[in-house]
Amino acid sequence: MTRTQYDALVIGGGIAGEEAALNLANMGFSVVLVEKDLSLGGKMIHLSKVFPTLDCSACITTPKVSETVRHPNIRVYTYSEAKDIRKQGENRFFADIVKKPRYVIEDDCTGCEACEKVCPVVVEDQYQYDLVGRKAAYIPFSIANPRVAVIDIEHCILCGACEKACLARAIDFTQEEEIIPVEVKAVVVATGYDLFDAQKLPNYGFSDYRNVVTAMQMERQLVPTRPFNSVLRPQDGRMPESIAYVLCAGSRDETVGNPICSQICCMYSIKQAQLLMGALPMADVTVYYLHIRAFGKGFNEFYQQAKGMGVKFVKGKVAKITEKDNGNLIVRYEDVYKGKVKETEHDLVVLSTGILANKGISAMFRDIELETDPYNFVKQTDELANPSRTSIPGVFVAGAASGPMDIPDSILSAGAASSETASYIRRVS
Amino acid sequence: MKQKIGVYICHCGANIADYIDVEKVKEVISGQQGVYLARTTMFACSDSAQKEIEEDIKSNQLDAIVVASCSPKLHLQTFRNAAMRGGLNQYNYVQVNIREQGSWAHSDRPADATEKAIRLVKAGIARVAESKELTPLKISAENKVAVIGAGVAGLRAALELADMGTEVFLIEKEHFIGGRTSQWGRLFTSEQTGEEIVEHLYRDVIDHANVHLYTGARLVSRSGSVGNYNLELKITPRYIKEACSLEDFDKAIEACPVEVEDEFNFGMNKRKAIYKNYASEFPHLPAIDMENCTRCGKCVEICSYIDLDQEQQTVNITVGSILVTTGFDPYEPEEGEYGYGQHDGIITLQQFKRLLELSGDRLVYKGKEIKTVGYIYCVGSMQIKGDKKYCSRFCCTSAIHAALETHNRFGVKSYHLNRGIRTYGKQEMLYTESSLNGDVYVEFDPKKEPIVTNEGNKMMIQVVDLLTAKETLDIPVDLVVLVTGMVPRKDNSIAEILKIPIGRDKFFNEIHLKLRPVETVIDGVFIAGASQSPKNITESLKSSLAAASKANSLISKGEIELEPTLAMVHKDLCEWCGKCAEVCPFGAITRTQLNGKEIAAVNVANCKGCGMCLPVCPTDALDLEGYTNREIMSMIDALID
Repeated sequence: MTRTQYDALVIGGGIAGEEAALNLANMGFSVVLVEKDLSLGGKMIHLSKVFPTLDCSACITTPKVSETVRHPNIRVYTYSEAKDIRKQGENRFFADIVKKPRYVIEDDCTGCEACEKVCPVVVEDQYQYDLVGRKAAYIPFSIANPRVAVIDIEHCILCGACEKACLARAIDFTQEEEIIPVEVKAVVVATGYDLFDAQKLPNYGFSDYRNVVTAMQMERQLVPTRPFNSVLRPQDGRMPESIAYVLCAGSRDETVGNPICSQICCMYSIKQAQLLMGALPMADVTVYYLHIRAFGKGFNEFYQQAKGMGVKFVKGKVAKITEKDNGNLIVRYEDVYKGKVKETEHDLVVLSTGILANKGISAMFRDIELETDPYNFVKQTDELANPSRTSIPGVFVAGAASGPMDIPDSILSAGAASSETASYIRRVS
Repeated sequence: MKQKIGVYICHCGANIADYIDVEKVKEVISGQQGVYLARTTMFACSDSAQKEIEEDIKSNQLDAIVVASCSPKLHLQTFRNAAMRGGLNQYNYVQVNIREQGSWAHSDRPADATEKAIRLVKAGIARVAESKELTPLKISAENKVAVIGAGVAGLRAALELADMGTEVFLIEKEHFIGGRTSQWGRLFTSEQTGEEIVEHLYRDVIDHANVHLYTGARLVSRSGSVGNYNLELKITPRYIKEACSLEDFDKAIEACPVEVEDEFNFGMNKRKAIYKNYASEFPHLPAIDMENCTRCGKCVEICSYIDLDQEQQTVNITVGSILVTTGFDPYEPEEGEYGYGQHDGIITLQQFKRLLELSGDRLVYKGKEIKTVGYIYCVGSMQIKGDKKYCSRFCCTSAIHAALETHNRFGVKSYHLNRGIRTYGKQEMLYTESSLNGDVYVEFDPKKEPIVTNEGNKMMIQVVDLLTAKETLDIPVDLVVLVTGMVPRKDNSIAEILKIPIGRDKFFNEIHLKLRPVETVIDGVFIAGASQSPKNITESLKSSLAAASKANSLISKGEIELEPTLAMVHKDLCEWCGKCAEVCPFGAITRTQLNGKEIAAVNVANCKGCGMCLPVCPTDALDLEGYTNREIMSMIDALID
């Protein structure tokens, strides 16, 4: 079996992975980038406008994605995972890239959506955070890269309709998992984060109450490619008039196993509140918070701007949410500044869920241990001098894989990781 | 004139299409002269849309393209690259901004925004029709970087660049390196001290053949441009030739009769005119502060290597790129701000951190043992009026970290009078730990600040606590610590010399927080660390390492491509009057002879394409490549048509 050689393996094709890969490639190193999802772009490609400058997220992500796939020094594998990363001799790593079958021949698919149109199976669309449905044969989302179809074999009923409809003859049900062995000098872990599962907060009634949504679901209603072309509450498709944000939903909370602050929720909630003021000028937006963590460049000013726009901020932890017959929600909380327990009615509640470590990282390594911190993020072993260094020499960490981080910080962290990786590769070469 | 122009109107999701009727724009401009095809697209910058543009160019032999979308600041290069991949010259591409200058600016008047977009696109078409094929200039680049500021950010970047094979000139205005970090004592998260971090970095830097360290050095002037910046440095002497024994130096310091306020310890003690800030400081040689030295000669008697007659030196260096890591100043409270300067028991967080470093078994300030400390947060940050509306980011965590240290070392009890604790991310655990220690957190309204008074042996803080429904509390403490934030350096001459843009908060400004976070609008000048915005050490290191990789990839190939936007002379029209040469800020225009006639000549290496020479020419003999008079006039015609 021939093992393709690269200078670096970058795991994760979100904004941090792309930035790290591009920096390395621009310095002349060869890079193989592995993304487990169907498309590059990570979480960021799904966001609307991003704080504190309200840039259009897609407008920043898609060109980076495009630059990554076109770069002559970068080889991208999407819908693939790195496994069995192990030391080979002093300064080399072996790894196996497992490419999962799409059941679609990538090179032949033109992204025409003919398969999608004829597919009779409808399931929840994970890229719209279950707000709407998608087919079992589908293009992940409109700005996906690669923009090719995939068959969701778990839900496919093998009716063959897509095969008949595909003029490019790109559907191939015989595809199997493929293993691509690689040899690299360094590894950059840019695996990002997982969202906290709102179902683990029974007091807030997510999935029981019809009008309690997560911030990611709200985000998808605010993006340019939004499913409803407006912001609607799920129960009856009515435009909400009074929206509540519940901060620290699954963060700073020992009882749900996540005692740390997620670092991004205050700001994305403030951003969504501002966007809502534009999208639904008649709606009231109330943010229930413990402390507003507007710490980055321009963040505090952005928070003040939201206040100026009329977003209401109430200091208090929400204890409980109950649903009325009409679908409206009673939010029970301690109004700390007033020193009173209060109940307020809203017709839509958004849970600003926190972020968790992507737990699968350590399992990608064999015979060598990638140490993690108490919260399962990749441990930075020399944070005050070499911020990307991990417990394994030659393995570096970029972005939110090492802890909660916003986009500007992730990009800087990826820049640091590429720098440290570059000088490491030069030293061992 | 281009005859087969492709025009693409971008929806930008909903950013443009919500306000501008893109289909109408397409329809109207389809009939323009030279337009061969016109399309609308959801995201012109997406990979599939770029591929479509390339395919269109190839299959229709388009000779120019226009994309009407966002600002060219964002995606000019994206579409130039697409044009090139399709086989076009990249300068036969024009970007029309119908988002920042269209939909976003006129969201309240969609019909007018559409009309404006139509005109802008027409003008873009008119310009591209007159566009010429141009070749980017290639200039040589020195694989050398000047890193200005040898704090941790500068040290770390210098080391990384040196490892990557780039020659580094590390320029520090003080006589010692380490910047603010060496003043900072024990650090979150590793509990190393600032001195240890600096020592570790210094040893690596000084051993590296690719790093040249200049201390006591100031940048005084700059000329040239990216790839070849010429920098003039003034080096203040240490007044010490080479090392005599360290013991002799200690004796010399002891012998010095001059005592001045010790800036390194924020005035907490005195130092001599010959001094080191701390024993293991780097470089190991002391320095003489000539402003305060009386030239009494007592130190020279002990150590003959001390030379009070050393003179200031000038050093000229040439570098391809410059990285500015000049850091921050701690906010200095005004006289009377929370009683600062008026009572003895009030110090800043910076002073308190030095006090902790200088303390032994007991925490004593001005003869009084400290058992209770009251911290007042956001001093000089998050102000309602003025420039300092920003959050200084590091101070909540730093103050809490200091409180933990005082709890563990001295059994001190702390009161934190804050405006909402911002221990983001994992730093939250420090806040939790401090709360479990019994520290008391009180929140105040910035419009109703705490009042500090001196009552006998105690400092008394009166505060209205928002967390207990506005109860007024009187808190007696031994010491008040003002949690002072970061402000830009008082001495900002670097910004003027290098023309670095300054933001609303008065820190240095990057081009784009997400796309180009360490680059400035001045090609080849990078910024990192707290010079850009408040950052903790790890965050500063990340940005300086990111800047190191950007600087390295810019200059390490030995040449840089530049825009071919240059002034050119229409030889037949020029009647040499010299006015252009007079106004040219770069000395790029000289007089030359052509067939017996005197005309102007442009030196392409010096010309920056600023266009200053154009309006002063009485015969319109000057033109700017890429922005020719023909292009601009045709745009104006199209706009007012």
